Amino acid sequence: MALGSVPIGFRIKERRRSHGITQAGMARDLGISPSYLNLIEANKRTIGGRLLNDIARILDMDLNALTGQAQRQLVADLVEAVGDPGIRQLGIAGDSVPEFVGRFPGWAEALRNTLRTSHAQAEAIEALSSRVSQDPELSDALYKIITHVTTIRSTAEILESSGDVPPETRTRFEGIVAEETARLADTAQAIVRYFDRPDSDQHPATPIEEVDDYFIGNGNYFAPLETAASELRAVLRGYGAALDTALSAYLVEKHGINVEVQASSGADLALFHNQSRYIADQRRLIFLDNAALSSQRFQIAQMAASLFAADAIAEQAAAGAFSSEVSLLRAKRALAAYTAGACLFPYESFLADAEKLRYDVEQLRQRYSGSYEQIAHRLVTLRRPGAEGVPFGFLRADPAGFLSKRFPLPGLPVPRSGAGCPLWAIYGVFQTPGRIVRQLVEFPSRARFLLIARTVTKDPARFHEEPFLRAVMLVCDAIHADRTVYADGMDVSSRQLTVPVGPGCRLCTRTDCLHRAEDAILAR
Amino acid sequence: MVARVLIAEDEANIAELLQFLLQREGYETQMVFDGSAALAAAREAVPDAVVLDAMLPNLSGYEVLKALRADASLKAVPVLMLTAKGQDKDRKLAEDLGVNAFITKPFANNDVIACVARLLGEYRT
Repeated sequence: MALGSVPIGFRIKERRRSHGITQAGMARDLGISPSYLNLIEANKRTIGGRLLNDIARILDMDLNALTGQAQRQLVADLVEAVGDPGIRQLGIAGDSVPEFVGRFPGWAEALRNTLRTSHAQAEAIEALSSRVSQDPELSDALYKIITHVTTIRSTAEILESSGDVPPETRTRFEGIVAEETARLADTAQAIVRYFDRPDSDQHPATPIEEVDDYFIGNGNYFAPLETAASELRAVLRGYGAALDTALSAYLVEKHGINVEVQASSGADLALFHNQSRYIADQRRLIFLDNAALSSQRFQIAQMAASLFAADAIAEQAAAGAFSSEVSLLRAKRALAAYTAGACLFPYESFLADAEKLRYDVEQLRQRYSGSYEQIAHRLVTLRRPGAEGVPFGFLRADPAGFLSKRFPLPGLPVPRSGAGCPLWAIYGVFQTPGRIVRQLVEFPSRARFLLIARTVTKDPARFHEEPFLRAVMLVCDAIHADRTVYADGMDVSSRQLTVPVGPGCRLCTRTDCLHRAEDAILAR
Repeated sequence: MVARVLIAEDEANIAELLQFLLQREGYETQMVFDGSAALAAAREAVPDAVVLDAMLPNLSGYEVLKALRADASLKAVPVLMLTAKGQDKDRKLAEDLGVNAFITKPFANNDVIACVARLLGEYRT
């Protein structure tokens, strides 16, 4: 019996009994012996053709329902469920599922529905847990609670156990308990207010946030895509020694896709995104002639990666369980871009060079012919277990302050949406386009980071257009700063150099900031 | 000779409690409230042990620890790190930087006292 099919005998027997038909009577109507019908009902004989049609007619059943066609999906779902950790430990064999479904279809469906609900709830809990653990407000509040509790516990132990505490010290310690208890109560009330916020504040994740969260959840590293990128590089060697020409040759010869450059003057710019467009039915990838060569190269690599590693990308995206088609599509594009980055900047050599050049983005971009943003972004992905680079966070902002890309670090509070702290170098850098600005900062949580920011420009297509500036920023924990060129000549321990910043006004607990634009949600 | 313990803790009440506990054990103590001051104090007069909060202003406890271990005259000083974060990665970072002991807040007083005594015992033998 195939694993996906439900034994028909049980259904015939159940239905016959529920209709009050005897085995002998039904055998007579079918023109077969009762013992043969008994074998059929015991699933020891396979039936089909006219006999199957006659049984369906006598039992007044739809043929699909009788053969179990309608239950195949149910069987498949439960067979899959047998592999779940919670069920696997019970030792239930997958091949018993068809019989279970055949005998108890109602219970089987109830079980499947319960399992589905359970999975959905587990995923919701995981998503909420992830959101809560990354929330800077809650993180700050929990830190305060631990501090207050530590003080109260320690003081209470002293007061309880010591007869040798002088009266004035005892009075002082009793005062500490009262003070810390009041602060603890304030923090607890602030948390209650946080959760009492109107629902309008609890925005569902946008596709951008959803995909960002997925990358963050994976530590910005995807081993299967690194492998696919290595394989793609190996294939490209068969198309020429130079990577750029090999990529184009691969697209033409393997996929029939021509790469073209079109004059930007006279072009309908509305058809272009990132100075390129792909016409699928004509298999043409067209760039505007003002697109930077590094950008063209990366997009050609992204196209090649999306075709070469389609299965790996689809599998990785499916693991994200995205809530909408838009998010899924965005995730696939981002994963293809990841694979392109891994192909153009191969992990081992890129990491070795990054270490040797002490993460100097300018030198790395010259060595690898990448743009500043591409190189900075690749640095963030050097998280292979056992072969990690400096842990970097990455942010990208537009001149309006909107953070369009965010890969935070543990302990680096970044708002989920909107703008960050106006004091961050990523905003100040718009005053000095093209120049790298480094900044040592301290957050209210005491966490200290080195920020390395620079603007990147999208060139205009023609004289009458404005160049479009954006800023990108790498962030590393101050503890790792001396591994980078960006700490050269800087006394990382200097108090004078450190700028007090926050995660953005709404989330910031500083009370002495002159630059506050709006009140914090969770006041200190 | 009386052992001298440097307490680096930015929460004034916790620092005061640690001072009381350690002085009651007969140690001499010095309190500082940020990372830069901790490093400066240790360089000025080498302590016998440091009780170091992980999340200090100006320089984090981790940075202080890294600087201590990089300083020839201070690298052998035992360090007990106190932290509100008890995750494996925090512990691993501290261990990688050469911490001698690691206690998560909220701590039991006796654990801190016993740990300091052990570190001083090991350091002096």
